[in-house]
Amino acid sequence: MSQSPVPPPPAATAEEEIVSAPFFYRGELVEGSDEMHRSRDLGVRFTTPKIDFDKAVPPRTEVPPLLDVPLAEIIDFLAETGQRLGAPGNAHVQECFDRMAATHVLPRPMLESVSRHAVSQLDKRVLLAEVEQNFPDPKALDGWVPKHDFYGRRSFVRAFAPRLIHVLPGNSPGVAVKSVAQGALVKAVNLFKMSSADPFFMVAILRTMADLDADHPVVRSMSAVYWRGGDESVEGILYRPQYFDKIVAWGGGDAINNVIKYLGPGLQLVSFDPKTSISMVGREAFASEASIDRVAELTAADVMAMNQEACVASRFQFVEGSQDEVDRFAAKLQHYITVRAAASGDVRPYDRDLKEEIEALMMMDDDYGVWGRTDGSGLVIRSEAPVDFHPVNKTANVVRVDSLDDAIKYINVATQTVGFYPFERMADYRDRLASGGAQRIVHLGESGPSTVGNPHDAMYTMHRFVHWMTHEDGVEPVTPAPG
Amino acid sequence: MSAAIDKLTRQAKAQDRFDYSAADIRPLQIEALNERFQEQKDRIKLLGLRARDAGTTEITAIEDVVSLLLPHTAYKSYPESYLSEGKWDRLTSWLNTVSAYPIGPIDASDVAGIDDWIDRLVAMGHYVTCSSGTTGKPAMLVGSPKDIAWSQIDTVAVFEWGSGVVAKQDRMLIGTGAAAAVPRNIKIGEAQLAAFGNPEWPRWSYPVPPITIGSMTRQILMRKKIADGMARPGEIAEFERVARERQAGLDAAAGLTAEHLIANREKPLMIAGMWAGLYMIASAVRERGHGGDEFNPDNCLYSAGGLKGAVLPPNYRDVVHSTFNIPDGRQFQMYSMQELNSGMPKCRDTGRYHVPPWLVPIVLDKGGDNAIPHGYSGEVEGRAGFVDISLDGRWGGVITGDKITISYDPCPSCGNAGPSIEDNVARLKDLDGDDKITCAGTVDAYVRGVS
Repeated sequence: MSQSPVPPPPAATAEEEIVSAPFFYRGELVEGSDEMHRSRDLGVRFTTPKIDFDKAVPPRTEVPPLLDVPLAEIIDFLAETGQRLGAPGNAHVQECFDRMAATHVLPRPMLESVSRHAVSQLDKRVLLAEVEQNFPDPKALDGWVPKHDFYGRRSFVRAFAPRLIHVLPGNSPGVAVKSVAQGALVKAVNLFKMSSADPFFMVAILRTMADLDADHPVVRSMSAVYWRGGDESVEGILYRPQYFDKIVAWGGGDAINNVIKYLGPGLQLVSFDPKTSISMVGREAFASEASIDRVAELTAADVMAMNQEACVASRFQFVEGSQDEVDRFAAKLQHYITVRAAASGDVRPYDRDLKEEIEALMMMDDDYGVWGRTDGSGLVIRSEAPVDFHPVNKTANVVRVDSLDDAIKYINVATQTVGFYPFERMADYRDRLASGGAQRIVHLGESGPSTVGNPHDAMYTMHRFVHWMTHEDGVEPVTPAPG
Repeated sequence: MSAAIDKLTRQAKAQDRFDYSAADIRPLQIEALNERFQEQKDRIKLLGLRARDAGTTEITAIEDVVSLLLPHTAYKSYPESYLSEGKWDRLTSWLNTVSAYPIGPIDASDVAGIDDWIDRLVAMGHYVTCSSGTTGKPAMLVGSPKDIAWSQIDTVAVFEWGSGVVAKQDRMLIGTGAAAAVPRNIKIGEAQLAAFGNPEWPRWSYPVPPITIGSMTRQILMRKKIADGMARPGEIAEFERVARERQAGLDAAAGLTAEHLIANREKPLMIAGMWAGLYMIASAVRERGHGGDEFNPDNCLYSAGGLKGAVLPPNYRDVVHSTFNIPDGRQFQMYSMQELNSGMPKCRDTGRYHVPPWLVPIVLDKGGDNAIPHGYSGEVEGRAGFVDISLDGRWGGVITGDKITISYDPCPSCGNAGPSIEDNVARLKDLDGDDKITCAGTVDAYVRGVS
């Protein structure tokens, strides 16, 4: 008997370890346990201090600390920070990953590897290239660039330091590194809103910087706090054009809907929208058994980008072939996904709803093929149209098509990366993909890397961050005609 | 053999049915659970799959049934294209995976739409009830003729028990909201009318076109079309125009209902509806200068559901009660859900929901993976699961998204010894909120305006 008369166990919360997430205000670390929060997905509790609004928002009467610091010096400081972050034994980073292991769904080695890669981008050459790709004339960041037009009108233009709130996503620690770099490069006054899945890494970065030089203008330009997304008692205070120029937000759903309420004249949204990525595989993949195998392995690499937690991770694979061919591909794809899943040590079970959806398809075996088990170890579904649900947690939906042309109708405004095979056919498709809303077409198997300085989510981000200020300086005196 | 099931379901109308303590009745319930399981595991494909996955061949304890509880989503796991593209034969075979009775092949070539499909199934003895979600696929719950007969008995019995009103065909029945015209609701309405309605007085149905499954799914399909980028602007404009017209019709219906109530204010009434609708109509009655003593002091009220997101003034219950002159204890409320076929009526004075013996409550941890142990005394709080042993046409095991507090002590007010649930049921989802922010997401975030 299950419900036999035994005393109930003590409340689970009593034994739960509670981690603490400190805040950072322009060089000052603030610890505290005034408020209790819950991380999304895992439901783990963590505590934070109460937000000190006046510290989080420097007044507009103060000129941004980085304004007169040369870009070259900022790049040096960021690169030095990168060295320190990457150095073994960085206590802030170690401590951060210890804490994050409790709040994040991804395994610790994967988080560490993602952040290592991001930190490696704090490199002088990379940072400089980012700036040069974003700004036709990067000198506008350091000073007032003279202009004059064909009417003889003269002026100066400056990419002036903006005031930014960054609403960070919870899925990847890499975004924290990128955001801090971009915020520094545009010399912004930055407030980072951390996520409940990772209320630590940004502070670890900023503490590492402060160890280098607590008074450095980069450090004095950065604050990081946490509040529960949508908390009106915080957002109602902070989201005002008197305090910030732009809200830089990642994601969709409630997270963005909450932000949108506060937009208006003077307060703009720069949004990295929620994205779905896909693969397109042409019939050339079936040239030989070895070729199917290789293409399946490449596809698995894209599906398993950050164990499918990333926006670049492929979820739907449109494959050109007969059902028999596509089924062979699906079986191999499932094999390679499980290999990667097992190697990562990620054993998250499926959530109930996803399991229900897939089990129904298993029972409808005339229309669907399913390879793998609904236990989070890696699963592939073959269908004639994309499934209704969002494939997550190492799940791929292979959609059979007679021609890749038939896949175009499934491209939409949420489509980010399209991993393509064979590479020679990419040029035939890129215009139609862009017209449908997609943002990147890449070699299959290379969803992650992109050319240094390339646009993200269809924009040159830093170019959008800055406050483009002009100084009109009248008309050149007309030289009197000779004679 | 279904001896245990029979023993429990025979209590349907027994006056003392809520007086069996959980400790006393549990062995019989386990026996009945196993009878149902043995009877249905080979008939219901989904249950069979679950049982095989869990390695369950027999139910000898509550733990055995936890992995067999099905969430709401199990009943809407069919591919949406079956609905949007009218693949009725495929939808029928999907329904077969959750039905305890084989649903014969159906000639899908001339099915005119989902309402027609449902009518044909009803004609074959399969009563499909759909949930009324507007943003996702509707859940489809299939029931047998036995289930319909059971809910017709149960609806009258719970109302009598919970309101003290005796079924003697002496009232005028008033609907104060647009009810979904699904087969089970229609049958329940018929049973209530036959039991409580004066045969001379027709039931007042809320004067709007019936909400059929077809009309509910129109919205779902439009949303899908917008998400796919296939909806043209002219089509969205037309859709919104129709929606505005429908809203205007709903608004007018409140006034007509108020006037009908005023005209019949001296008759004994049984007024049914959701709180938002009840409040709106009570206000309309007040605006017309009526309400209070001029209504019959023998009136009774059947309020369903929570507020469902409606924002009402704090005294909304008082306004409804005083407008329609509802005496104390004559307001009936119950806790149930579409996945179950039985209600848990509130006892008149304390407002605890009472669980009948054929309904096995299982309080689970938040994830729904384990039953929380208890000693048949005191309170247990957690995620609600139930097995409705009365269910015949589908598996009665359900895991909900509700957080409940159940007490195994006798009810402090009515004294009944059976388990009772506190009137503080909350959606786990609402308690958690949505603090999710990630760059990975779906096109759903880009769809606006039709939900």
